[in-house]
Amino acid sequence: MNLDFRYALQALPLLLQGALVTLETSLLAVVLGIAVGIALTLLGQAPIRPVRWACQLYISVMRGTPLFIQILMVYYVLPGVGLDIPRFVAGVVALSLNSGAYVTEILRGGLSMIPRGQVDAGRSVGMPRALIWRHVLLPQTIALVLPPLTVEFTSLLKASALLSVIAVIELTRTAQQIIAATFRPVELWLATGALYFVMCSALGGTARWLERRAAVHRA
Amino acid sequence: MRFDLSVIAETWPIFVRGLGFTILCCVLALVLGLILGTIVALARLSHRGWLQWPAAVYVEVIRDTPFLVQAFLIYFLLPRYHIRLPATTAGIIALALYGAAAFAESIRGAVLSVARGQAEAARAVGMSHLLTMRRIIRPQMMTYLIPSLTNQFIGLVKESSVLSIITVPELTMASSLVLGRTFAAVEAYSVVAALYWGLTLAISVGMGALERRMAGPLQSGRAWAPLLIEGRES
Repeated sequence: MNLDFRYALQALPLLLQGALVTLETSLLAVVLGIAVGIALTLLGQAPIRPVRWACQLYISVMRGTPLFIQILMVYYVLPGVGLDIPRFVAGVVALSLNSGAYVTEILRGGLSMIPRGQVDAGRSVGMPRALIWRHVLLPQTIALVLPPLTVEFTSLLKASALLSVIAVIELTRTAQQIIAATFRPVELWLATGALYFVMCSALGGTARWLERRAAVHRA
Repeated sequence: MRFDLSVIAETWPIFVRGLGFTILCCVLALVLGLILGTIVALARLSHRGWLQWPAAVYVEVIRDTPFLVQAFLIYFLLPRYHIRLPATTAGIIALALYGAAAFAESIRGAVLSVARGQAEAARAVGMSHLLTMRRIIRPQMMTYLIPSLTNQFIGLVKESSVLSIITVPELTMASSLVLGRTFAAVEAYSVVAALYWGLTLAISVGMGALERRMAGPLQSGRAWAPLLIEGRES
């Protein structure tokens, strides 16, 4: 088999442009996903039981069904109920709604690692709740959840390849378009995979670095 | 918007066939992936560099690229070697290669979760490496391995929906078929989502029961845990 990377090299600027869109999309999705996750965490502790049930149902469905179906659902169903949104928005919305269900678990894990005694101590010296959150819980939680959130960013970066199906011109879609023009699928998929690999392993390295740093701070 | 049940009444055989294909692909990928994954995990755990690093590279490459790109690459790569395979076979191979990397990490983590002293003690009484693995490590790693493998398998089932893009006629493809015939997007996707949800819940509950049985009295009371599906695809 002879590989010919000339087309892939020629297409590199286009692929890099696509990679930029992939990065933008997944960054946007991870930020919105954190917002969804925070909302779910708060609603999950609501004093009203049906609200808590609804949260658990949402999390279970989001995690129990493929992201691909969720993307198709948002893309095809929303216009049906009169919400005409661009594909890019539909894609980011689907990714964030999905990610939120995983972010809740990350946040819960982070919060549960802080000893309860710290809240009690804060209360016993007369700190109001808001102050306990700001000075005791949040700084520690953020250090704890930053590494797993970076891993979540990596997951979304890979998952955003599925947006190619609803024709968001990100990295995978760009590769498909170039393949349609040059018919060099193997070379282009190798090049595309390499770009994803570089982005994901850089993020993975960042996550490990953040983890080491958090561990040093705790010690 | 209205939910038209008659669409489902007319098209249900398409969904059933799709579900059957999804289960078939996932079970085959699970078996192949576990075999390959065990080999990769053992290679990563070995002290020989020439076994260790190719396995590590394999796991990293699979984990740091989207499954969709892997599936496309395999789908287009095989014909280059004059291997003509139906899409379903190519899909199962892609899914098994993807699963192997995930399973390998689960298995490696499970082996490493067993206290070091256990293997050292076995070595001290003269057990070989393989015998230590079989008699000492394997029984003790199960409490760690089963939940972890469950998550990875659920991830694999969800990831298998991507195979519809390379024209494998599985459950997600069924929704496109129904959509093409009836234009009933809400109904088609709801049915498919419900079937996937049922499938992943069943795996979660079933493996939870297996876990409790194998763990025996050591297990803490977490009866609700199987309802919290964990596996993350991609």
